[in-house]
This record gives sequence, structure tokens and C-alpha cells, in this order.
Amino acid sequence: MVPAAPALLTPESRQPLPEPTPPSTHRGGGRPFSRRILPYLPYLPAFVPVAIVAAIVLELLAQSRFHNFGWEFFGSTFVGPGSNDWGIGVFVVGSFVTAIPALFFSMFLGLGIAVASVVYLPRVVSRFLDGFVDLLAGIPSVVYGIWGYLFVAPYFGSALNPWLFHHLGGIPGFGGLPPPGSGLGLPLGVFILTLMALPITTLLIRDALRSLPRELWESGLALGATRWECLRKVALPHSRAGILSAAFLGFGRAFGETVAIAMVLNLVAHYPSNVYSGTATVAAMLFELLDSAYGNSLFLSWLAELALVLLAITATVNVVGRLFISRLSATQIAGV
Amino acid sequence: MTAAGSPAPPATTDIPVLSVEGLTVRAKRRVLLDDLNLDFPPTSLTAVVGPSGCGKTTLVRSLNRMVELTPGLRVEGVVRYLGQDIYAPAVNPVVVRRRIGMVFQRPTVFPMSVYENAAFGLRIAHEDEETIDRAVNDALRQAGLWDEVRDELDRPALSLSGGQQQRLCIARALAVEPRVLLLDEPTSALDPAATQRVEATMRRLKERYVLVLVTHNVDQAARVSDRIAVLRAGKLVEVGLTADVLERPREKFSEQFIIGRAE
Repeated sequence: MVPAAPALLTPESRQPLPEPTPPSTHRGGGRPFSRRILPYLPYLPAFVPVAIVAAIVLELLAQSRFHNFGWEFFGSTFVGPGSNDWGIGVFVVGSFVTAIPALFFSMFLGLGIAVASVVYLPRVVSRFLDGFVDLLAGIPSVVYGIWGYLFVAPYFGSALNPWLFHHLGGIPGFGGLPPPGSGLGLPLGVFILTLMALPITTLLIRDALRSLPRELWESGLALGATRWECLRKVALPHSRAGILSAAFLGFGRAFGETVAIAMVLNLVAHYPSNVYSGTATVAAMLFELLDSAYGNSLFLSWLAELALVLLAITATVNVVGRLFISRLSATQIAGV
Repeated sequence: MTAAGSPAPPATTDIPVLSVEGLTVRAKRRVLLDDLNLDFPPTSLTAVVGPSGCGKTTLVRSLNRMVELTPGLRVEGVVRYLGQDIYAPAVNPVVVRRRIGMVFQRPTVFPMSVYENAAFGLRIAHEDEETIDRAVNDALRQAGLWDEVRDELDRPALSLSGGQQQRLCIARALAVEPRVLLLDEPTSALDPAATQRVEATMRRLKERYVLVLVTHNVDQAARVSDRIAVLRAGKLVEVGLTADVLERPREKFSEQFIIGRAE
């Protein structure tokens, strides 16, 4: 019944094509299982992230006991075990006052690196330097932390912080209590977070600038623009969605950083009194307090809630960022 | 018309606006253009045709020093704009590119409004608002786009159709009042209707400018050009009036290429 292969190739043979095999009707045994399940297997990995998020959120929710703390949970005083003061406000504020300046610095530096690499440096040089940015991204955060604690802190303590104190002391926030000699505190925390957010901001800004079509760049030059003018008027506006995603992801990186910031921040559960002060972030506190919470179920559930808050803030920033970026890309094209 | 830094146009119209003398462009291993000699007279449209990879694009990119943006290419010979060598050491490529405009294969509008696109070159040159306004109006008219966009100049340029975008690119190049306009296969990404409109624009513009059109389409060259230059493997095969080259090609290769048989 099945025609020989060559017959199909000659126009003279008008034999019908072989009928498709009818769907298998038998049940049980190895074949039907593989027929029914295997085709769906390739879809499964797509749901792994959903499962992970669900597992984390559900477990944290199960651990937490908001009713134990009530609204006080969002208060600003934290004393901890043996007291009624379990407020997390200090830590949330601490996270923002370290992450936002760090993001600011790393965006500027990242933009500078990306522009130099994409626009100005010869391809050979920039390809060499790009490798170092990738390398920077691969350094474990604890290495940044120990380096900051051992080698950078003394410079901050003996040089940078006193200099700022003496010269900018008149500006609110820069005066007040003299900076500690250890060099630990907000400036070092911001410095380390800047370095840690730097690879992600640089990489994303660089990719955004590189995605600019060559002809668009050349069109600017063909109109008599210099490279700087092309960059400012064509490349940066064209890449703004990418630059914004760099900011949002960089923020996520800085906001969630734990070990390094715990090592260099001089952790204390109070609001920073000036720019040299110590403070604490949500992530660093989670890490720092885990030991003391062991065996104290109230304390543990408080930590679970703290983790949920951290998750909620980063997730919110992420979602808002995505919405913002997709709106931006739409406006760019359609002018909605 | 004359800008500071560029020589005044000569009194007679016989002197070519743009001329190429012994132009050779080398890549690392290959010669992209081999000793080209070619004149571009005032108010004319010269079509540069030839098979893919023959150096058409390299030729037009040499005419406004765009070729220098590609690393590894070396340019020898002379390209004269109104008698002055544009590759002379004292010449600023930015000034050259303002006098010799360029339109690319695909529309390359910037992510900004129609008006700001057309005004781009003038803003860079720090012209005042009144001058910009007048030049933008004029350029959009010349490019045959004015009637379609006059009421929505604030609209994002990326929301225009492909053909409109390409005419906006032409307007943008014209707004800085160049003498020469280089068109590198400007209709290759457009549908037939949009192609027709761009061709109509080119026919109108050649009354005022020196146009150099790169095209792989002999029919297009026949429709719009005054002169045809045939290129093969970096060498100029022949150049002459469009009708002459199409009807009585001097070279075997031109004949073959025109009837569509050359490689």
C-alpha cells in the first residue's frame, strides 16, 4: 500500500499519499503514557519560576503572624525580644537611604563607562574593557564586604569622612556628630552598594546604547552632528527604556544586598542622625538577627514578615518599572 | 547658500560640484574601489548601478567622508567639492557632511516629533527659531511631505508610514541646505506606491541639487536619472547619459547588467 519513495518524486505517479496513522486507541502500557505526557513536558520548565515564587511567599506567609504585632509592625522603634517594640520603619528607611544614593552614583558611573565604551573607544580597546565589567559582576558580595571593611574603611575613617565633615559641615546632615574613626557607616555602605550595582547598570546601559541601529547613528553624523550631539540627541533618547530598566534593576540589586552591607554599615537600629551615621537595612537585619532569633518563634515569625516586606518592596519596584518602561516604549513609537 | 568655511560656488555651471579623482578605498585584504574618476555636474541625478558588492555604497560613503566611520578602511585619491579636496587635513568632516547630505537604505527617523526630525541639523547648527521654522517648512515641501504632515508636525516621526519616514529623512537632509544629496538605495525598503512618491521627489530635487543615487534597480535608474555610472568589482565600467548607456552601452558588461544577465 505504501508507495516506494521514488514514486512520490515523479509527476507521472498519481498514487495518493499514504494516509496518516490514526490516533492510537489503546490504553495502559508505556506508549500511551509517553504519548500523553511527553508532549507537555517541554512546557513545564516555564512554570518553575511561578512555583518558586509561590513556595517562598506561601511559606513566609505561613511563618508570619501579623496579629502578634498589629500596626506597630510598621512603627519606627525596634527593641526586639522582651519588649513591645518591633517596628520595622528604621530598617525600611535604612534600605532606601543606602540604596537610592548608591543607585544614583552607579547610574552616573555606568552611563559614563557605557558611553566611553560604545561611542568613544576603539572597538579593540572597548572589547577588552568590557570583559572587566563582566568580571566585576562575578565577584561574590562577601568579597566586596571584606574588602570594604578591611581596606576601604580606614580611608573613609581617616580621610574622606573627616574631610566632608570639615568642609561641608555647614550643610544640614553633613555636620552634627563627628564621623567615627572606624570609617564604617553610611558613606562606606553607599560606596560598596554603588560598586555592587555598577555591573548591572553598566551592562544594561551598554546594551541599550549598542542596540541603536548603526544607520540611525550615522544619520545624525550625516547631518553634521558631532559624536557628543549624536549621543545626547539621538542615542540617549533612543535608549531611554533600556537606561530606565538599568535603574530599576540596579535599585533591586542595591536594595536587596545583604552580606556586604551588613559588614560595612555599622548596624544600629536607629535612623541615621547625619550622613556618617550607622543605620540598618531590611536585608542586613534579616541576616544579622537570624542567630539571635533561633528558638524564639515570635522573633522568627517577625523575621519572616520582614522578609515579606523586602520581597514586597522589590516586587513593587519591579512591576512599576516594567509598566513605566512599556508605556515609554509605546509612546516612543505610537505617541499614545 | 554659502556657509562659512566652504568656498563660494563658481560662476559657471560647467565646473562639477563634486568630482572624484583616482579614488581608491582599501579594506584589509581587498580593494573596494579601484582608481575611480567621476564628475558630478550641477543639478543632475547620477545613478550608480552595479551588482551587489561592486562598491556602490562605498562610493557614496566616500563622497561625504562617512566611509571613515568604518574602521579599517583606507581612502586614497581626491574628492573635490567645489574644487576643494574634502579629505585635506584641514577640512572638518562635520562641515563636509552639512554640505553633502545623505539618505540611507532604511528610513532612519529619530525618536522625536516630525518637526524636530526636520529641524535636527539646524538645531545642531544653533540656528534661531525663525530660520528653523522657515527651513523646516521649505524642506518638508521640497520632500513632498508637507501636505501629509502639516497639521500634525508634533506627531512622533516613528508613527509615520515607511514612505513618509523616508521622505522625512530627505527633508531632514535638505533642511541644512546642502548642495549635494547622496541617496543610498532609498527605496529598497519601501512598497511600490511609496517608491513612486520618493522617485517623484527625486525628480523634483534634481532641478536644484546634485543627486547621487545608488540603486540596484536599472528601471529606477531609467526613470529618474540623467546619467548612469556602471560599477563592477570596484572599477568604473562606464558613465554617460542615461539614454545612451541604456540604449547603446559601450561595454559588454553594461549591456549584460542592463538586461539583467550580469552576475
